[in-house]
Amino acid sequence: MSTALGWLAAVGLAAGLVMGFGVAPREVTQGNVQRIMYLHVPAVWVAYLAFAVGVAGSIAYLAGRRPGADRLAHAACEVGTVFLGVNIATGAIWGKPTWGTWWTWDARLTSVAVVFVMFVAYLLLRQAIEDRERAARYAAVLSIVAALNIPLVHFSVYWWRTLHQPPSLLKPGSSTMPPEIVAALLVNFAALALLGAYFVTRRARLLAAEEEALA
Amino acid sequence: MAWKDLLVERRSKETLNALLFFSLALLFVFQFALGPDRERLAAVLPGLLWLGFILSGVLGLGRSFLVERENDCWEGLLLTPGDKSAIYLGKLAGSLALMLVVEALVLALFVLFFNVDLGPALPGLALVIVLGTLGVAAVGTLFAAMTAQVRARELLFPVLLLPVLVPVLLGTVQVTEALLLRESLAGVAHWLKLLVAADVVYLTIGLLTFDVILEG
Amino acid sequence: MPDNWTFVAAAYGLAAVVFGGYWRWLARKERDLAALRLPRPSRP
Repeated sequence: MSTALGWLAAVGLAAGLVMGFGVAPREVTQGNVQRIMYLHVPAVWVAYLAFAVGVAGSIAYLAGRRPGADRLAHAACEVGTVFLGVNIATGAIWGKPTWGTWWTWDARLTSVAVVFVMFVAYLLLRQAIEDRERAARYAAVLSIVAALNIPLVHFSVYWWRTLHQPPSLLKPGSSTMPPEIVAALLVNFAALALLGAYFVTRRARLLAAEEEALA
Repeated sequence: MAWKDLLVERRSKETLNALLFFSLALLFVFQFALGPDRERLAAVLPGLLWLGFILSGVLGLGRSFLVERENDCWEGLLLTPGDKSAIYLGKLAGSLALMLVVEALVLALFVLFFNVDLGPALPGLALVIVLGTLGVAAVGTLFAAMTAQVRARELLFPVLLLPVLVPVLLGTVQVTEALLLRESLAGVAHWLKLLVAADVVYLTIGLLTFDVILEG
Repeated sequence: MPDNWTFVAAAYGLAAVVFGGYWRWLARKERDLAALRLPRPSRP
């Protein structure tokens, strides 16, 4: 299954590049550096999607104690962290020429950075516990704490950056984007999601093989 | 369980004293790191206060299960019949009491060293300190149990705890700042609600999942 | 504003390195595991 996903992902990535560099227009204010967005934004969407799968796997594991659920949780959280790292790094690369700085403590960057560190901590916890069954249990609990903490992080960081009044909405809505840009974003999202799914299935299979080897 | 820990604490006083002197040392470090500029210090005071609270909290919470570890009683915890969440609440209460005592003393030291006038802010401060400390202790006790058996626990525990505590840190500092500036609590009501929400979330998770942690 | 193509290249390049690196890491671990399972060849 993962090979099929892999090939689909490859096709998707090619399509994404075509959309991002060919179809999407040159942005008026920023110029072509804005094309980083077609990598940067879908990466964070895929990351959060992966984390959602990971937490679902964690809950499933705690409920049924099936090792497959734990392997899925582990793989998904790991892949999510990778994609989030790509998101943060590409964000910094995009920020340097446009904002003049690699990093700024604005709401979105800060909350993503906190989520990233939480899931890196998840991976560190998994590494630190030798007993596979205990690692699975503890990691599952940690991922649930991290997931429930994400909205708290988002709100607190957003309020922190908007000084005085609390916002009435979750976040200010984005203005309507031209359809080519939306299309390019969606195609790249699909491509990265396929890549993510490919990585998750392959990683989960590797985890299963590792368990078998140790048995 | 809480009573047992408090008794242990009262007899040894080890942790309390260590935390107090740690906080005192931090205070000195803050002063030296930030220089003699009084106004700059006053501006960052809420942050410094909570930095002190959280750092000493991390130290204290990291030792929550030290007694069980050192005396090989971990299996004892695992074999306790009935609802393990009672152990969680007991440990939590013990840590909470310890942290609040340390924080009260540190607050007094802050008032002394940095010449802060608390006045009408005190009841509000007490509220936010309780809310914040409860959140820290709730997650901290859970994570302390998780890292108790890990070799690199002194490193892993703060790495796990600190990012999760970002909302609590942000909230408490904002409220404390408002209180010290004599602003009305109405302006920071949303932060107080966030702290309450965080406390509810962390306590609930702790109560629901502690059994899972103490399975083995 | 100038186009800053170097930054675009850097961003996509970084992603390629990270994803490619992860892919190769997965492949290497799979190979190592497979080698473990096969009987050891006798050295000449």
